[in-house]
Amino acid sequence: MDHIASLAGNDCQSRRLFMEMSAKLSLGVSLSVPFLPKALKAQDGAKAKNLIYIYLSGGMTHLDTFDPKRGDVMGNSESIDSPVDNMKFGSLLPGLASQADKLAVINSMTSTNGAHEQGQYIMRTGYEKRATIVHPTVGPWVERLLGKRGETLPDSVVIGRSTSNAGFMEPALSPLPIADPSGGVPNTDRIVEGDRFSRRMEMASKLGQQFTEKFRYAGPDSYVEYYQQANQLLNSNALSAFDISRESNQADYGMNRLGQGCLLARRLVENGVRVVEVISGGWDMHVGVDLATRSKLPELDAAVSTLLKDLESRGLLETTLVAIGTEFGRTPDLNMNDGRDHYPAAYSCVLAGGGVKGGTVYGSTDGAGKKVKSDPMKPEDFLATIGYGMGLPLEETIYSPTQRPFTFANHGEPATKLFG
Amino acid sequence: MKSHLRNLLFRLSLSVVLISVCSSIEAREWTSTDGRKMKAIFLGIEGEKFRFKLASGQDALVPADRFIKADQEAAQRLALIGDDSYTMASARQIDGLLAKQLKANGYSSFNEPLPDDLFVRRVYLDITGRIPTREEFLEFAESAREDKRQALIDELLLSPGYASNMFNYFADMYRLHASDFNNGVRMDPYMQWWRDQLKANRPYDEIVVDMLVAEGNVGQNPAAGFILRDTGMEFDAFSNFGQVMLGIDISCAQCHDHPFEEWTQGDFYQMAAFFGNTQRSIRRYGGGMMSGAVTTMPNAPDNWQRQFQEWAYEEKGVAPPPDNTSNRFRFFVSALGWNVTDNETLETVLPHDFIGSGGKPNEVARPRTLVGAAAKKGGMTRRESVAQWLTAPENPRFALVIANRMWDRAFGRPLVGPVNDFSDDMVTRASQVEALKFVTREMQRVDYDLREFMRILYNTRAYQSLATSEEPDWADAYYFQGPILRRMRAEQAWDSMMVLANGSEIDNKTGADGSLYKKILNIDFNTASNEEVWEHYEAWNSNYGGRVANAVISKETGDWSPTYISDSQLRASELQQPAPAASMLDTFGQSDRRITDDHNYDGSVPQVFALMNGSVTRQLTGSSSKVVYDLEDLDGPDDKVRGVFFTLLNRFPTDEELKLGMGMIEDYGDNGISDLAWALMNSPEFLYIQ
Repeated sequence: MDHIASLAGNDCQSRRLFMEMSAKLSLGVSLSVPFLPKALKAQDGAKAKNLIYIYLSGGMTHLDTFDPKRGDVMGNSESIDSPVDNMKFGSLLPGLASQADKLAVINSMTSTNGAHEQGQYIMRTGYEKRATIVHPTVGPWVERLLGKRGETLPDSVVIGRSTSNAGFMEPALSPLPIADPSGGVPNTDRIVEGDRFSRRMEMASKLGQQFTEKFRYAGPDSYVEYYQQANQLLNSNALSAFDISRESNQADYGMNRLGQGCLLARRLVENGVRVVEVISGGWDMHVGVDLATRSKLPELDAAVSTLLKDLESRGLLETTLVAIGTEFGRTPDLNMNDGRDHYPAAYSCVLAGGGVKGGTVYGSTDGAGKKVKSDPMKPEDFLATIGYGMGLPLEETIYSPTQRPFTFANHGEPATKLFG
Repeated sequence: MKSHLRNLLFRLSLSVVLISVCSSIEAREWTSTDGRKMKAIFLGIEGEKFRFKLASGQDALVPADRFIKADQEAAQRLALIGDDSYTMASARQIDGLLAKQLKANGYSSFNEPLPDDLFVRRVYLDITGRIPTREEFLEFAESAREDKRQALIDELLLSPGYASNMFNYFADMYRLHASDFNNGVRMDPYMQWWRDQLKANRPYDEIVVDMLVAEGNVGQNPAAGFILRDTGMEFDAFSNFGQVMLGIDISCAQCHDHPFEEWTQGDFYQMAAFFGNTQRSIRRYGGGMMSGAVTTMPNAPDNWQRQFQEWAYEEKGVAPPPDNTSNRFRFFVSALGWNVTDNETLETVLPHDFIGSGGKPNEVARPRTLVGAAAKKGGMTRRESVAQWLTAPENPRFALVIANRMWDRAFGRPLVGPVNDFSDDMVTRASQVEALKFVTREMQRVDYDLREFMRILYNTRAYQSLATSEEPDWADAYYFQGPILRRMRAEQAWDSMMVLANGSEIDNKTGADGSLYKKILNIDFNTASNEEVWEHYEAWNSNYGGRVANAVISKETGDWSPTYISDSQLRASELQQPAPAASMLDTFGQSDRRITDDHNYDGSVPQVFALMNGSVTRQLTGSSSKVVYDLEDLDGPDDKVRGVFFTLLNRFPTDEELKLGMGMIEDYGDNGISDLAWALMNSPEFLYIQ
């Protein structure tokens, strides 16, 4: 019993530390590393400073894209060659094929999650989905492990989602959600302008002072801080980072959510945002995969090939890791509706930039794309590889408020040979 | 009213015991039209007469019109909500227990009493889930009644806002979500079932039992939504059962022995085995990982689905896939099949990588309770057995958990916590352990009537104290000298904005109730003819997709033609559950209902943008400012400043604030009024319950 009590005592102690820490962190984005338990440095040699994680929700077909085969399993799909020997692509991805020298294609992804929700969850967090805890996505992990980087803008943004959270981590680490890449940040048009706005702010601050002095709580103080940040954002040009209408090559990315999301991601990274997730749906091709790929693959091709060129021409490709992930592949055998169903046993993901060796094919499947033949890579391994590229301390343990231990990518094995 | 009568009888039978507990029971004073006074405990209305228990212990029946109007009204209220005397005695007993510990720990007493203006805002937010309107505020402030606080508490507990606000709490606790995440079954009828239970003030233990033992699909029995909610994640569902109903987080024992507590991995599976033969689909046996038993399709029910599909093909020309119509058809047939039953051939099997104590890999786990007494088994299904064990008087933990949660709602901090994970040892060490024991017994005494329970808490001196001015550390003992300062829940912030924009009528507006969907799924496939089922399919087909969520059918006519609710100017509880992503509710921290008690109270920049520039702020303080319009009839800048304060913060301005505000109006006229309103909405005080 003593034993239990002492453990419970530790529990309280660390819980208090956590509460204190999160209270301090929630004061705002301007507070950073000093409040983390210890300063952490990125691992030596890692080149990626930024991450753009393009997530194709629904399950991207591997045969028609990055792991083309011969014979019946291809249906109406064809493959094309690329400038790199032995690197073939689906014929609807000519733009990416022409930049094969920038890409590391992973054809040995394998997972046990055949449902979208669970599959997507582990691909974005590195952990199996549980109904009792929420695990953080990459953005909060990076900020937690490396400390806050930006000043005005948030460190991480998720595009294509209108909500986000930091899982069990401090809410201040939550990525800023942007539901519609063309819509920018909501509610940033002032009701009144100029002096009158200043008057309102001044009045609010005067009237609020009495309240914040009366109550010595972290909450009200944090709002004072958020008002300052919001005001600063409204007065700065920082919000223009979210305005893609200023971009001249908007159409090159494709006038669709994925294309515009990739454009916004590039713009944000350029402006100092560290981790951007771009989530785009429409990949669940149970019916008529032929028709479906004809609409989706050109979108993917234009978005990512323009993104890579853009990053390169701005000198950002070396420091920006671009990843394409999805929850599973699709059945090599066409179903009765000429569609492909969920297939977690083998699928493909892609990495580029950020020090990744381009022109690489990692792992392989058998002749029908059904079984992983070499270098199997689980979702945790994929995220660990991303973390390795960004120099994250992969063995650093972070405790949840309930004292459960977690590490980035749940001890996944990084594919270090993908980096030069 | 059945439950009320039952409560009353229950109370009477316990009154001797109770009086010995609460030595200070006092009868209420009643006044007759000719000015005579009588002290008596009110028992109920019988026809045109009131029944009392007199100080002598005798019953008396007195004609209602013998009393002054205020007392006649009081009797009507008491008949609905229960007798004051027991409530007040119980509240005083709580205060006594708290005060004793406060003194023993160096506090002189409770915080200063809450002034009337702060009281009215707090009870409106706590009970009805929104701020009061200016009119409601003034009505209370100007009332000279001596018992006006007690009367307002009762009035609000009986108002529609009470159930709405309660719903938001339970929606978070029970992770109420309009989708079941996995199988495309909509949960709207289950949402509406919860709303109905709370509107009817159904005793909490009965709500829980209904959910635990439910059979059928959500159309036939909406309470089945509780089990269907976690199809495919049965062990996680069980962990949630532990957290919400027992206040124990046993999730880590799923994979290994619990590191801090005494539970083993074997305990986890034995307790989980109470749900081990719960079958969730007529198509497939077993619930994925919950059971190692049969996974092949059985014959009868699945045959019915196949037979019906063939019939529809022959008779109704449902085209073969990939025609869009046939997809809808396929989903319809599938949705009908998510149906909760008990199947004695299923078992819970320990995992192949079982590493803890209390079992061996791949062993069948027999149902056994984790804490307290053993469950009775005779003549009951496993779920009935665990439901009975859970809610039996011999298991006070169930009453303690919900009493502690309701306490947390009132005071912003539980008596023992966190509410979903505490050990018996923590109960013993609770700072106010006697109060905790007392409210647990009270929860049993009021027979899980949560409205009556809340009524007791809101009438305590402890609750009606100023909020504690310094944030108490979670790790330190808190003695409840008053409630702590709380930020509004997302729903309270939203509902307050709704009442600012629409007035108090918003409380009576209802949203989509899942009634069409419920009717569509309400078929017994064992007895229904193909034509009958087809009729249901046609209603489904013409309301496919998101439309069905907003389709409401008339209870009176009961026919298939729905009206569609597209209004988003509704209270949070009446909107889709949870509110859509990026909505104001989402921005302010409404739980996404993935895990229990996941409401977020933290601030953020997008919240600030919403308050600064959002549509409600625009309506109130923009070019045709609603606040300016509403205060048009008031003369003089001082009254207008007060009017703005009454509208937004529901309190009197201080002298300094009055001066500041008047200055604004003198300098800028109507613009000054809307600027002041904007400033109050954007000062931190607006979002807080003090």
